[in-house]
This record gives sequence, C-alpha cells and structure tokens, in this order.
Amino acid sequence: MAEPKTAARAGFFDRDFREMFSSQLVSLTGGVIAGAALAAYTDKLLLLPGMLIILPGFLEMRGNISSSFASRLSSGLFLRVIDPNKVKTKIIEGNLAASFFLAVFVSLVLGLVAFAFNYFFLHEVYWKIVFLPLLAGVIANAIEIPLTLAATLYLFKKGHDPNNLMGPFVSSTGDVTSITSLLIALAVL
Amino acid sequence: MNENRENSAKKAAERRAREKLYCTREECGNVLEKTFHAAHAHKRVVVTRHLPGKLERLRALPRKHFHPLQHELHKKHKLSHKTLFYVKEYGPHSNVAGTIIKESVKILLLASIVSSLGGFALEHVKAAFVAIVPLVVLLPALNDMIGDYGSIISARFSTMLHEGRVRRDWWKNAALRKLFLQILVLAIFTAALGAAAALVVSHTDFAVSASVAFKVFAIALVDAVLLVTVLFAVAVVAGFYFFGKREDPSNFLIPITTSVADFGNMLLLALLVTVFF
Repeated sequence: MAEPKTAARAGFFDRDFREMFSSQLVSLTGGVIAGAALAAYTDKLLLLPGMLIILPGFLEMRGNISSSFASRLSSGLFLRVIDPNKVKTKIIEGNLAASFFLAVFVSLVLGLVAFAFNYFFLHEVYWKIVFLPLLAGVIANAIEIPLTLAATLYLFKKGHDPNNLMGPFVSSTGDVTSITSLLIALAVL
Repeated sequence: MNENRENSAKKAAERRAREKLYCTREECGNVLEKTFHAAHAHKRVVVTRHLPGKLERLRALPRKHFHPLQHELHKKHKLSHKTLFYVKEYGPHSNVAGTIIKESVKILLLASIVSSLGGFALEHVKAAFVAIVPLVVLLPALNDMIGDYGSIISARFSTMLHEGRVRRDWWKNAALRKLFLQILVLAIFTAALGAAAALVVSHTDFAVSASVAFKVFAIALVDAVLLVTVLFAVAVVAGFYFFGKREDPSNFLIPITTSVADFGNMLLLALLVTVFF
C-alpha cells in the first residue's frame, strides 16, 4: 500500500514555501517604505533621546493589536456571529473600543519607559518623549484600526480567508502609518 | 384567553430551547436573540437572551478553566470548539471590550517592553547606527521579517505537536528539518533582498562604497541566520514544555518568539554595528 504523501516528502519549494515567500515580499516592501521615511527624517526623529527605545515596541504594538483584531473579526465572521454588512454591532464596537484603548495605553507605557531611560541613564528630563508616542498612537490607530476592519470585512465578502492575508497587510501598512504618525506627532508637538 | 395561550406557547418554546439546545426559528418564535451556525451539524443553533441551560452555564464559567462541559457540548451537540469559545467569551451580557482588554493588556505590555529593551542597546550605539543610512532603512523591514518568521515557526510547530507529527527526538523528524531549512533559505533570501533595497533607496543621500555594501549585506545575513536559528530552538523547547503541561502551545509561542525576535534583533544589530563599523 502506498504511503500518504507527507509534508516532508513534498518538494522543498512547495505551496507553503511560495505562500511564505509572497507574504514576506509584501511585508518587506512595507518595511522598506517605512525605513525610507525614517531615514529621510533621521535628524528630526531618530536623534531624539530615547527614540530607539520607543521605535521597536511601537512598531511591534501596531502589528500585535491589529493582527489580533483582524483574527477575532475573522473568527466571528466564519462563525456567523458577525455579519459582514453590519458594522454597528456590540461585538465590533467592543473590539474597536478595546483595540483603541490598548494601543493608547501601551503607547503611554512605552513613552514612560523611554522617559525613565533618559532620566536614569542620560540624566535628562525630556517630557516630549512621553507625549510623542501617545499622540502618534492615537493618530496611527485612528487610521489603522478602521482600515483593518474595512479590509477584513471586504476580503471576507470577496470570498477570501482574512486569516491568510491580514498578517502581511497589517504589518506592512502598520509600519508606514506608525512612522507617518510619529512624524505628524513630532510636527504637532 | 388569547393572551394566556400566547404566553404559554412562548414559555413552551423557551423550555424547548433550553432542553433541546437546537430549535428552528418557527419553533422558538420571538425568544430568539442570536443565531449561530454550527458548521459540523449543519443546523441553526438558536440561543436566547439567557442562553439555554448548559450554554448559559458555559458562559458563566471562569475562563481559566477548560471545563469538561465544553467538551461534552462539542461531542454531544456537534458544536465546534470555536463556536463554544466564542459563546463563552463574547456571549450575551458579556463586556466585549473589557474581556479583550483584560486578556490582552499583560501580554501586549510584556511584548512591547521586551521589544523596547533591545532598543536600549541600540540607543548606546545610536551615533554610529544613524550614520549608516542603509541600516536605518533596513531596521523596520528586518524587525518585521524576523518577527514574522518567529510567528510562522511557532504556528507550524504548534500544529505539528497537536497532530502528533513530532516527538521528543525532534532532530530526527524530516518535516521539522524541512521547515527549518525552508525558513532559513527564505530568511537568507529576504534579508539579502532587503539589504539590496535599502542600499538602492539610500544611495541618493549616502555614498555607498563597496565596503559599506558588503558590511550591510553581512549584517543583514548574520542577523537573519542567527535569529532564525535561535527562534527555532526557543520554539522547540517552549513548545515541548507547554505541550507537556497540556497547554495549547499556540497561545504562548507566538508572543514569546516575536518578543525574542525583536529583542534579539535590536541587540544583535547593536553588536554587529559595533563590530563592523
């Protein structure tokens, strides 16, 4: 009797490999665009004391919150608890409120961590570093969370599985919106 | 008279809903509040405002416990685990936002703070780092890429554990070896591609010499190869640990590997910048 074809026996450049590769290309493109914006404004942004402490956490947070949000929405859509044509429901509104609150709270904590680093290691009192991620967090989420909601519902309505597509989408758009929001927040403050 | 008849019909429908768990829209009439679709049963599952019987008990259970009732409902009524989970977490009378915030805030804070700790190291070599424009361009892409590989390794290894395709002698497992090699090849290729893109993007503002280009490529490749290897080891060790404790590794491995990826990436970048420049 022939053995079933296992993953190990399938070719090296199989479907999994191709899927991972294509999603990484999307993610890489978003990352390079965000990096180019960062490099263009290095003197204004990266040279702020403590900015390199905020940056990885800030970029990570956007992906974590929006990916979880998209994943919860997808589960709800597949279970038919969420109607893709109805946005004003308890579950969606609860999800929106929670995602927004989490983003603002984590941004504030990141700002405080950077402030503490400046205070204890650089002996510098720089309050702007607390408000910068906070304001940028509000701006970035005002864009990213509705965008994630719209994209998830749209993809589901078009017959795609949002679980497979939202990860790279969120990480690439998240980086660009995060860096743009930091620059806007810097201009405002 | 009619009113009494209507009331008794309504009560009967409610009782049926409680007893049967499933009932059709016609049977249950006005008591319906939510309808769920049980994928396996191909039936409409009807839930009243006060979830009938066992579903209401399920919703009220503390979330830390995986109660046998959940398994019983899955087996007996062919309700998927996802549906039961959703009913338990986000059923009627639950505070959706509160539940999400309570469950997510700790792990999000931990992940963000761990990621930021790596930034401490890079902050110390900031002057050297920001002077090399291609590395600044590459930073978000490299962070994303390593984090994504951490998620992929975690998700795939968790699935392998659940399916019983990997045992303690994991190094003998062909599927796991293939996964590691696939991720390694992808990491090398995407790191090289990212480095090339960063050099092209930054060439207008930064004089890219052959020596700088070589160093940027070397930093990207060493960073990707080392971190993918570390992430793989972390996922395997932590995966066996949580699986042995009868926990679902999927819930722990992704936050752990993405945090390790971010922290390790910043730390390694700081180290490599010091070594190469």
